[in-house]
Amino acid sequence: MNATPTAPRHRAYGATIGRIVPFVPALIPMAILVGIVVELLISSKLTNFGWGFWGSIWDPPSQWGIAVFIAGSFLTALPALFFAMAIGLGIAIASTTYLPGWITRWLDPFVDLLAGIPSIVYGIWGYLLVAPFFGSVINPALYAHIGFIPGFGGLAPRADGLGLPVGVFILTLMALPITTLLIRDALRSVPRDLWEAGLGLGATRWETVRHVAIPYGSRGILSAAFLGFGRAFGETVAIAMVLNVVASYPTNVYGSTGTMAAEMFLSLDSAFGNTQWLAALSEMALVLLAISLAVNIIGRRLVARIVTYEVPGL
Amino acid sequence: MNATANDGSAVVSVQHLTVRTKQKKLIDDLSLDFGPSSLTAVVGPSGCGKTTFVRSLNRMVELTPGLKVEGAILYLGQNIYDPRVNPVMVRRRIGMVFQRPTVFPTSIFENAAFGLRLVGEEIREIERQVEEGLRRSGLWDEVKDDLDRPALSLSGGQQQRLCIARALATQPRVLLLDEPTSALDPAATQRVEATMQRLKEDYVLVLVTHNVSQAARVSDRIAVLHTGHLIEVGPTAEVLERPRNPLTAEFITGRFS
Amino acid sequence: MASAVNHLRAETAEELLFDRSFRTRWRLGFDKAIGWVLPLLFLVAIIPILDLVYYIASQALPTFTWTVLTSTNPYDPDALGVPIETTAAIMLFAIALAVLLGLFGGVATAEFLPERAAGWVRMAANMLVGTPSVVLGYFGYFLFVITFGWGLSFIAGSVTLAFFMTPYIFRISDLAYSSIPRPIREAAYGSGARPYQYVLRVGAPIAFPQILNGVFLALAIGVGETAPIVLTTTQSVIFPPTIYSPVTFLTGTIWENFSQPAGSPSLSLAFQAALLLMVVVVALNILVRVISARYQKRLEGLYQ
Repeated sequence: MNATPTAPRHRAYGATIGRIVPFVPALIPMAILVGIVVELLISSKLTNFGWGFWGSIWDPPSQWGIAVFIAGSFLTALPALFFAMAIGLGIAIASTTYLPGWITRWLDPFVDLLAGIPSIVYGIWGYLLVAPFFGSVINPALYAHIGFIPGFGGLAPRADGLGLPVGVFILTLMALPITTLLIRDALRSVPRDLWEAGLGLGATRWETVRHVAIPYGSRGILSAAFLGFGRAFGETVAIAMVLNVVASYPTNVYGSTGTMAAEMFLSLDSAFGNTQWLAALSEMALVLLAISLAVNIIGRRLVARIVTYEVPGL
Repeated sequence: MNATANDGSAVVSVQHLTVRTKQKKLIDDLSLDFGPSSLTAVVGPSGCGKTTFVRSLNRMVELTPGLKVEGAILYLGQNIYDPRVNPVMVRRRIGMVFQRPTVFPTSIFENAAFGLRLVGEEIREIERQVEEGLRRSGLWDEVKDDLDRPALSLSGGQQQRLCIARALATQPRVLLLDEPTSALDPAATQRVEATMQRLKEDYVLVLVTHNVSQAARVSDRIAVLHTGHLIEVGPTAEVLERPRNPLTAEFITGRFS
Repeated sequence: MASAVNHLRAETAEELLFDRSFRTRWRLGFDKAIGWVLPLLFLVAIIPILDLVYYIASQALPTFTWTVLTSTNPYDPDALGVPIETTAAIMLFAIALAVLLGLFGGVATAEFLPERAAGWVRMAANMLVGTPSVVLGYFGYFLFVITFGWGLSFIAGSVTLAFFMTPYIFRISDLAYSSIPRPIREAAYGSGARPYQYVLRVGAPIAFPQILNGVFLALAIGVGETAPIVLTTTQSVIFPPTIYSPVTFLTGTIWENFSQPAGSPSLSLAFQAALLLMVVVVALNILVRVISARYQKRLEGLYQ
């Protein structure tokens, strides 16, 4: 596939250079990646924060426990993933099985469009319109009607609506195009023969989807979960705007917390000049990076071919 | 041309079937009856509509968008294209085996039991029918010690026989086979042909094949299609040795191997 | 009565086809119902987008005048002229650098790298795309702003953004060259073309539309990014800016002003910026689709 004719052997070292030089640019992505890791390691000076680093109390300039933020990142990303997968699965099934081609032709790209909206635009819409809506309508309604369920009662929700509910909502919208796209691909990869065999045995469309298509495409669906999670986990600006970022655990569903990405983004300014603070933030960056990369690698490994590039961040 | 039995003993009776797209007719006014315990081979040059025809028998032809089906196909006297009938029900009694082995990525048992689980059959009965199906397709002895093995670990020929067993498990009266051996090697082909010979005693088999010698080997009756028309039908030996339609003769001599 | 017979033992055609047993009705009914319910989920995606677009437009348009776009008076609270110019400058610089790094890298991967190495490199590119933008912002901050000593500046922001966009260009260049039909490739090399000749004369015209698309996509993504930029340059009114001075960016303008009180000109500015941003992103996306459509036809003709 990549068999190239050898470079002309005019001069010995010229030929060698000619053979090495083309390879160099290809290493750029690796170089950048390595550069990022190295730079962060340097700036964090691998300062030994001790076990406290993994503790729960983040209180510069004295305490550096990032567990709160790790938890916060998961606390926002996991529910978002759940919703994005559920909705994405429904949409993908509707698109591949139930809706005619002339509808899906323009409807599918519509969902992909969600991915093209800049996060800050999600943020401003979320902060000024959606959050107040949550604050005045949805949260009070939940509080009033199902407040007896543990987690839905307790501290009254804020009037401005900032907190987990709107945060999870926005993250769901951002992860949705990825999950939908990948699940759709997974379902489409089912060979026609197999699909018809299922129907031919007297199964309804739903039964065929459930018992033939989804098992067949399960790896792709799992990949959608990982990559969708990665998207929600690493989201920075929108969540920073919409969550009332605090370094504590929420007491109930309406409460707020902080994510690693948001805290990193918001605190860099204040940390200027304070090497300890900067070091702590850098280490947090490394943790965030490590988790994101792991999720990414696993998610990509599950599917044989490279995923489509139509959705940014994928 | 018409080929209907007038004594009402037909299991499946195709009556003036026409399948058309916007531009042309894929099947044109085809009428044909299928009696019990028979194997009818449907042959013809490529594009003659034999696959379309067979897929109309279990309403799979509806899966292709843009096709209109006219006429009626009676199963035991009831039109399966009656608007009140859901295609899902038809396929329980008219089963299908495809060109390539299409086993699901589960165990042998689960494959065979697929149709039965859908209708809510109880487990004891499922086990009985699965064994029955596997026996009839000739696969039982080869897999009986470990039915939980993944179906994909079987050879191509075995997988195809599993597909047959799977289709038989729901106790159909009719079995449609769309070129079932074209993806198999000669040895596997021979086993499947032997299976078909056994099955034709108890079922109505409709076999689409491009291999005329296969038709000669296993079928009682041959129906010849040409551009959507039924140009000839009759007992196998007769059609092959003394074809009445010149197109039939052309087709046979070209393809007889 | 058909339902009185065990539907599992349906013998006559009537019993079979008009099976009215509970289980069958449930199966068929469920399938039908879900065929209506699932498509409704599309609304979950559609309604928020429409609401978002409507909201931004309805907030920005009332106070919109053309001077908003053109006024380059840095002291005018309602002027986007300066951010527009500086954003354009940053994007130009960044995309140039990104293309430099990504194009060569991508082509090299497609053409010269053995499969195993190519696999690693591609994985690295994918991983870069998947890194959170704030991490890249930190990288830019520590390396360019601090270590290189550029401070919060135009150059720091541009280079950081360039690194952000590089993997996208890299991937699309790789893909573009890798998907050149084999017969063409073999014919070129077979008639004695040297690698650089193939890349320039034969590959480039074929791969160009795809790569151009990639550039526009990278631009669309880059112009909407906030974290890498805000952390490496700040909103400032030093005008005219130099390479080492802080500059404004469209997203930065939104970030600075979104929490201003309602009705204030600053908030209005944020909305104008948001609207402009959306228009630019949508325009680029449409451009990408148009090019895709025309390119598809070309490739089909090319490859028989």
